[in-house]
Amino acid sequence: MVIVTLQRDKCIGCNYCVEFAPKQFQMSKKDGKTVLIKSVNNKGFHTLKSHDHTIVEACEQAEKACPVHIISVKEI
Amino acid sequence: MTSTGKIELMAPAGNFESLQAALDNGCDSVYFGVEQLNMRARASINFVLDDLPEIARRCQEKNVRTYLTLNTIVYDHDLSIVKTLLNKAKEANITAVIASDQAVIMTARSIGMEVHISTQVNVTNIETVKFYAMFADTIVLSRELSLRQVKKITEQIEKEQVKGPSGNLVEIEIFGHGALCMAVSGKCYLSLHSHNSSANRGACKQNCRKKYTVIDQETGFEIEIDNEYMMSPKDLCTIDFLDQVIDSGIKVLKIEGRGRAPEYVATVIKTYREAIDSYYDGTFSQEKVTEWMEALNTVYNRGFWSGYYLGQKLGEWSKESGSSATQKKVYIGKGMHYFPKASIAEFKIEAYDIKKGDKVLITGPTTGVQELVIEDMMVNDENSEKATKGDSLTLKLPFRIRLSDKLYKIVEA
Repeated sequence: MVIVTLQRDKCIGCNYCVEFAPKQFQMSKKDGKTVLIKSVNNKGFHTLKSHDHTIVEACEQAEKACPVHIISVKEI
Repeated sequence: MTSTGKIELMAPAGNFESLQAALDNGCDSVYFGVEQLNMRARASINFVLDDLPEIARRCQEKNVRTYLTLNTIVYDHDLSIVKTLLNKAKEANITAVIASDQAVIMTARSIGMEVHISTQVNVTNIETVKFYAMFADTIVLSRELSLRQVKKITEQIEKEQVKGPSGNLVEIEIFGHGALCMAVSGKCYLSLHSHNSSANRGACKQNCRKKYTVIDQETGFEIEIDNEYMMSPKDLCTIDFLDQVIDSGIKVLKIEGRGRAPEYVATVIKTYREAIDSYYDGTFSQEKVTEWMEALNTVYNRGFWSGYYLGQKLGEWSKESGSSATQKKVYIGKGMHYFPKASIAEFKIEAYDIKKGDKVLITGPTTGVQELVIEDMMVNDENSEKATKGDSLTLKLPFRIRLSDKLYKIVEA
């Protein structure tokens, strides 16, 4: 399983995650911060659990590019 | 410009502690960021939208003007939050927005909000001032201008009667004190190149402040550089020539430091307040400048220089990576209770120790910054000379303390 987490309230809306993983991230037109698609929010931590391992590479690039380090990707 | 005819002293507020410190020490206006679209999106714990009414309330009580910074570069996906921020700011009676992007300027104007042009726009001449005067009542000039150039602009505004949307002459603002950037008007890409972290989105990693060596790739020789912090400018300080600054015709003096600690804001604002007042009452003197410099040196600084204001062509670079401040604060404990009738404050000591005669600092979101010397103290309900970790410390204080307050000891750095 792949677990992607986004600590959304710290996002500065730079758009890098969308550039690297456009299928998993999109910018919210409402508040200008990123949205982790199909994630579940638990106290500000937005988590996506997926069995599709093809998303890992793009998500890891987004994780690496994020200037405020609020994305984490784990494979278990 | 203030109603007293003095120049306006504008203070940075990165959080409620600093805001209160600025208000308590005599600022005329404050500027602050809300949410992510400001130049300190990373450095400070920014205010959130819901804080706007409280900021406005505290400032209006003291007749202090409030400016929302919304001066990063703006992408399409930001347009909606820009509108939300501006609408909420207007609703909360925030005085003006400090903007650089045209979308922000236009949106603010469309809802009738006063606009100030940010230093990010790099305004360096009268024609540009005239252009932005169509939208803005205050314009922050580029930090790279000399006072002579600033004066020419302010004289021309007067002569040509350049007016903003309010119908009043456009006011010129410059930076008076605080950190400077190695890049022209903060347009820097260093942090973006090395960390993907754009300074122009308020996420500067400050890598210019580090030590670097230059290596000749052909020979492998390290090039010797006298000052190894070749990209880190010293901090700007104008207090020793504040008379010339005011004579240049500026109306607003901005203090940098939204990422700084509340005691920094308290000290710098208090010092500049005194200096501005003494200019107007004719008591500005070299002796006072020496005192003020000493006070400014006690808080975070990278060494001081006069910026480009006195005609200097090249920058002055700092000699170390951190602060050259003469004092530092050490965390001691937290506020527990205040007994208003007896004016007694109780603190819990959580680290180090504290004794009679120590200089202490109490900071908090509502308390702001209070500095005092301990004269009498009780430890665990008994008279004592010293309190250590785990003790309960009670002091007689003329002001209320709160659970969110922190107690620090001030020591020589």
